[in-house]
Amino acid sequence: MNELMVGLTNVLSLSTLLALAGGMILGLFVGSMPGLSASMAVAILLPVTFEMDPATGISMLASLYMGGQYGGSILAILVRTPGTPAAAATVLDGYKMTERGQAGKALGTSLVSSLIGGVISGIVLLTVAPVLGQLALSIGAVELFAIAVLGLTIIASLSAGSVIKGLLSGSIGLLISFVGMDPITGTPRFAFGNMYLFDGISFVIALIGLFSIPQALKLVERNKEIVKASEFKDKMLPTWKEFKSIKNTIAGSSVIGVLTGLIPGAGGDTASWFSYNETKRFSKHKEKFGTGYLKGLASPEAANNAVVGGALIPTITLGIPGSSTTAVLLGGLMIHGIMPGPTLMTEHADVTYTLLWAVLFSSVFLFVLGLLYTKIAVSVTKIPGKVLAPVIVLLCVIGTFAVNNSMFDVYVMFIFGIAGYFIDKLNIPVAPLIVGMILGAMLDTSLNQALKIGDGSWLIFLKNPVSAVLLIIALISILQSTPIFSKFMRLFIRNNNQSLNQ
Amino acid sequence: MLEVKFLKKGSAALFLLALIFVIAACGNQPSSEETGDTGGENTSNEEAGEAEGSNDGSDYPTEQIEVLIGFDPGGGSDQLAQVTQPHLKNHLDGSFVNEYKPGASGGVAWTELANNIESDGYTISITNSPQVLTNYMVNPELQYSLSDFDPIANVVTDPAIIVVSGDSEFSSYEDFANYLEENPEGLNVSHSGVGGDDFFSLLRWSRASNLDVEMIPFDGDGPSWQAAAGGDVDASFNNLGVVYSQIQEGNLKALAVASDERSDMLPDVPTLKELDVDVVAGSSRGYSAPKGIPEEAKKELYDAFEQLREDEEFKTALEEAGLPMNIMTGEEYAEFLEQEEESSSEIWEEVKGEYE
Repeated sequence: MNELMVGLTNVLSLSTLLALAGGMILGLFVGSMPGLSASMAVAILLPVTFEMDPATGISMLASLYMGGQYGGSILAILVRTPGTPAAAATVLDGYKMTERGQAGKALGTSLVSSLIGGVISGIVLLTVAPVLGQLALSIGAVELFAIAVLGLTIIASLSAGSVIKGLLSGSIGLLISFVGMDPITGTPRFAFGNMYLFDGISFVIALIGLFSIPQALKLVERNKEIVKASEFKDKMLPTWKEFKSIKNTIAGSSVIGVLTGLIPGAGGDTASWFSYNETKRFSKHKEKFGTGYLKGLASPEAANNAVVGGALIPTITLGIPGSSTTAVLLGGLMIHGIMPGPTLMTEHADVTYTLLWAVLFSSVFLFVLGLLYTKIAVSVTKIPGKVLAPVIVLLCVIGTFAVNNSMFDVYVMFIFGIAGYFIDKLNIPVAPLIVGMILGAMLDTSLNQALKIGDGSWLIFLKNPVSAVLLIIALISILQSTPIFSKFMRLFIRNNNQSLNQ
Repeated sequence: MLEVKFLKKGSAALFLLALIFVIAACGNQPSSEETGDTGGENTSNEEAGEAEGSNDGSDYPTEQIEVLIGFDPGGGSDQLAQVTQPHLKNHLDGSFVNEYKPGASGGVAWTELANNIESDGYTISITNSPQVLTNYMVNPELQYSLSDFDPIANVVTDPAIIVVSGDSEFSSYEDFANYLEENPEGLNVSHSGVGGDDFFSLLRWSRASNLDVEMIPFDGDGPSWQAAAGGDVDASFNNLGVVYSQIQEGNLKALAVASDERSDMLPDVPTLKELDVDVVAGSSRGYSAPKGIPEEAKKELYDAFEQLREDEEFKTALEEAGLPMNIMTGEEYAEFLEQEEESSSEIWEEVKGEYE
């Protein structure tokens, strides 16, 4: 209890509040630029914090993380170029709203959802972190495999229009994820002896190419049409009635966000897809998703900010990074002379509790500064496509290069960009491809590990209660989307009726 | 009306300006890392220069020394750089700037060091062994080898350690070994990935002890110990510095360390040598330059690292970071790497059939 108060007073000091505000502004800025992700920004800012007091420095990084998660959504909504991988799911409904002239409402809803997601995850972090930390440890290869399989069923719900095209897109995504070193044998696959492909194709780089380059080309193609978006006069914040309609979605998605953050290695990118899918699964209006539906926007937005708290739970209780950004944060702690691990909650409790409060307070900063920043950012839609397109391409090149300081990545990004343009032209949905890429590596590694642990027996997945339940849910959701299932259901109902008649 | 229009145009222009500013800022990103890194260093550097001056009138270094890091910022190599360089620069009377080129387990950076870097002594790289040499054994596509480098100095060696879950039935190495005697290959043991240091430590141990286990590869040290702590596997071959805090907290139990002598951090844990298994293994990190740097630069660098040995502040910094110091310079480091290469390649030749 005592540490809790020490942390609070630390956060309320002027220097920390300034650091939080500074981190937030930087996070919003970096997050909104395609290619510059939150983890990159944290890595860049790390050396700057060495001179600061550890508590202040780490709080600044947490605020930056939070800001980056929201900032990624701004251009995703306005021009269909997600600034961070976590904002890719936001494009589906967010950009549709902009096309309808509701850019302001879309941004406002996304901001409110992010705020609530952030606050919920902050509260979870302050109250039940130690309990959930142990949960993170119990997620092993077998459970991870089941989670990945369940995740792949998302593809079915993302294949708007043609299931065949959706499956095709998902399979391509899976195939791409297999490029690089085989985690089990260490042999490079599909690398053609090129060492730049040994680590596989970076998901961030593929994403920049797939979304931003085709969009830049489109902007040039239909220079005038896009102006539609700039005529927005609607109020930014959602009305009370609208808010009431999405409040359950936000709460549910925040829980999914926190839980996904707990899984080591799964961050905002995974959480936003998971929650989008679950919201759609339980919605009565499935057909509205992907057409600019408020719930479809609120869900991934709440989830990707709730991830911040979730990912920090295993980080502070056990020293296990819950996402790539928290991995960099951990590195920062080590360089500050704080060994990540269980001692964070005891020996370094003052720093840790400052960090926890900082997550909560940064959500408030997110709301205020986000509102201001978004108002300026909206004017981006007034820029003619001819001007905006080259700026986007330039940002893509810079952002891609910055990931690994490598020109090779820039070429890869352009290849994905050109492919993405034709994928769009052929009306193949790009979302399943991304889901396939996110989950492919997880699926591959965990399957191999689980089979080795289980001496090659596939029964290991059914013997484990968690994975058995998850796999059964996955099976049901696959059957649900096949024609056989509905025929079977009809048959079943008819039989019932007949027996009733008799 | 006119005003409104102007305002609108103005705000668009403002945003464009902001964009341009970002572009400029991003374009400088590597150098912003530099300033972050060296801003403090430069000032203290001058102080150091005044205090110590050049020891022997040698000119080296007259420029900033670039340190090529083959892994992400915040990783183990970066940690070494951040801990070592602020102290090293005092002894060398120079300054450092880090450049990160992650990829192919360090292979991208080391290939560049071997093939594209001028041997003027102003670019050096952090070399992790055994990774730096097992890399090209496991992946012959990589175009570099140890003979392309002038090893400068090793700084730390994190010994290999065998850990089990805190509530494991094994409470000593003997329990573990006895169980394996009776049930060959009866236990699953995790390591940090094929070709990594833990992989080779495990194989060395297996040869020396004549015990066999089922090896389960994970993606890095972290996931490997987590699998042991969570009960997914029975034990993990890891590194002392990595799992130290987990052992303190009781999430993991240490069975044996593969160091020459018992570690000060875990004085109760026996070494493998004591247990009649002649294995000394671990993960070492140091610095190497491309082959053929000027003699003068070499000498200055060796001297600077030698002085680190006695630097009390540096020792404290390493202890805080949980990194056991093991300084070897010049010839000694080169010989160490050659030995590592010899023993690793012997092991790899034996097992490589299973991994192709």
